[in-house]
Amino acid sequence: MKDPYEVLGVSRTASDNEIKTAYRELVKKYHPDNYANNPLADLASEKMKEINEAYDAITRARAGQSGASGGYQSSGSYQSGSYQSSGSYQSNGGYQSYRTGSNSAYAQARSYININQLDAAESLLNAAANRDAEWYYLKGMIAYRRGWLDEARQHYQTACAMVPGNYEYQNALRTVQGGYTPYRQTNYQRTDMDTACDICNALMCLNCLCGGCGR
Amino acid sequence: MFGYVRPRIDVLAAEEMDAYRAAYCGLCRALGKQYGFRARFLVNYDMTFLYLLRSGVRVRAEAASCWCPARGCGRKVCTLDPDGYETVTACTVILCVEKLRDNLRDEGFLRSLPYRFLRLLYRRAYKKAARRLPAFAALTTEQLERLRTLEAAQSPSIDATADAFARIVAGCVADLEDPALRRPMEQVLYQTGRFLYLADALDDLREDCKHEAYNPLRFRFAPNQGELSEQELDYLTQLTDSSVNLAGAALALLPLQTCDRLLENTVYLGFPAVFAAVRAHKFRAKAGLAGIGRRSAKDGNTPKGETE
Repeated sequence: MKDPYEVLGVSRTASDNEIKTAYRELVKKYHPDNYANNPLADLASEKMKEINEAYDAITRARAGQSGASGGYQSSGSYQSGSYQSSGSYQSNGGYQSYRTGSNSAYAQARSYININQLDAAESLLNAAANRDAEWYYLKGMIAYRRGWLDEARQHYQTACAMVPGNYEYQNALRTVQGGYTPYRQTNYQRTDMDTACDICNALMCLNCLCGGCGR
Repeated sequence: MFGYVRPRIDVLAAEEMDAYRAAYCGLCRALGKQYGFRARFLVNYDMTFLYLLRSGVRVRAEAASCWCPARGCGRKVCTLDPDGYETVTACTVILCVEKLRDNLRDEGFLRSLPYRFLRLLYRRAYKKAARRLPAFAALTTEQLERLRTLEAAQSPSIDATADAFARIVAGCVADLEDPALRRPMEQVLYQTGRFLYLADALDDLREDCKHEAYNPLRFRFAPNQGELSEQELDYLTQLTDSSVNLAGAALALLPLQTCDRLLENTVYLGFPAVFAAVRAHKFRAKAGLAGIGRRSAKDGNTPKGETE
């Protein structure tokens, strides 16, 4: 196991508050919501597990406990969320209730999507006779995971138009519209350009600074 | 030669700026060392980003003052990392020569002469690079062929065309064995490739419409005299924002030891700033990597043939 202090990015002399702050920052960064329907969700999940274990190890060591689970687990709201360590994070709301009434092909397709077997999921969907909102939503998920964002957006829009009140479809559409932004380093919060000329000037300076061999 | 993938230097700390300059100059030096002096002319910002991404998970390489041919007798600080640059230089040479081939294919005999000359100039370098990265060379050829097929069919799918190009860019890290490193890097580069392709397509749209050359945006949006509506431009901007989000989320999964702020700057600030400048017609990159597979506006839709 990695050094838990290293995992949390804090020194061994860090105070409990500093450790808690670092832990919360990392949870925010690798939260499953940031990786919803992301092909790298499994890696984010592993990272999250590592962070939790590191925090657990530190809190246990500091509390002088051994074996028993740490206090943070009972107090941390994160653990009570819908995150699943298997990487097949299911977002809240609509899907669970919606799935009960839809056919098993969709459930199977969703399983394939969760493990990144996108061709298998697509074959299942293409074989389906009925093309309802869920069908379009799942097609959108496949396109999104492939990085085909234009197609994903069109499918999500169709799904939203067919079932306007579904949170899951709406969240997916928001994500592909670029409106939902995952965790970003605070040092580089995005700012709008004052003018496009500024960046051109900056880039020209960069070119000079880098000695671009006349390029 | 390329040029859409850049950090926003106005918000870079001096130390990060130095690291960026050293990586750029180090790439130039490594190209010269590994492929001869003329290969130095292939250095570009996009491949500097690739180097920073690949090397970011390692301890920072040593830097030293080196002779800079662009400065005559002057010297510049260069990153000295021959092993780290090895794959990056091979990718640079392969992509640049493929770009020349692509241009050559699109031009008539007379206009293709400069490209033929340049291709000849870099032939040995290409062979060496292709020996070093045979799978990448094959992938590039295959995806460019796919791109040409889509172009010939006048595909209206910006996803399909961008995918062919993005796969090439993502292929620059296919040699990495550890999936925990390779997969996030592939995602960062795939989205970078998409961004490059869309930015270049938008940059060229007016010219392509004027000369009725293929451009996926022409067939996806049906622009009016080479101009997209504000709504369509917003749509495209949102698509690139999604790419930024996906690339950023992937970047966060990498155990970056160096250059993390530089890479984040490039993805979160550089991409949107460049795209905004392209959208406002205030950024004009030279015919670059992202232009490969899309015919030059001057040539219309019919390929003029390729001898190789």
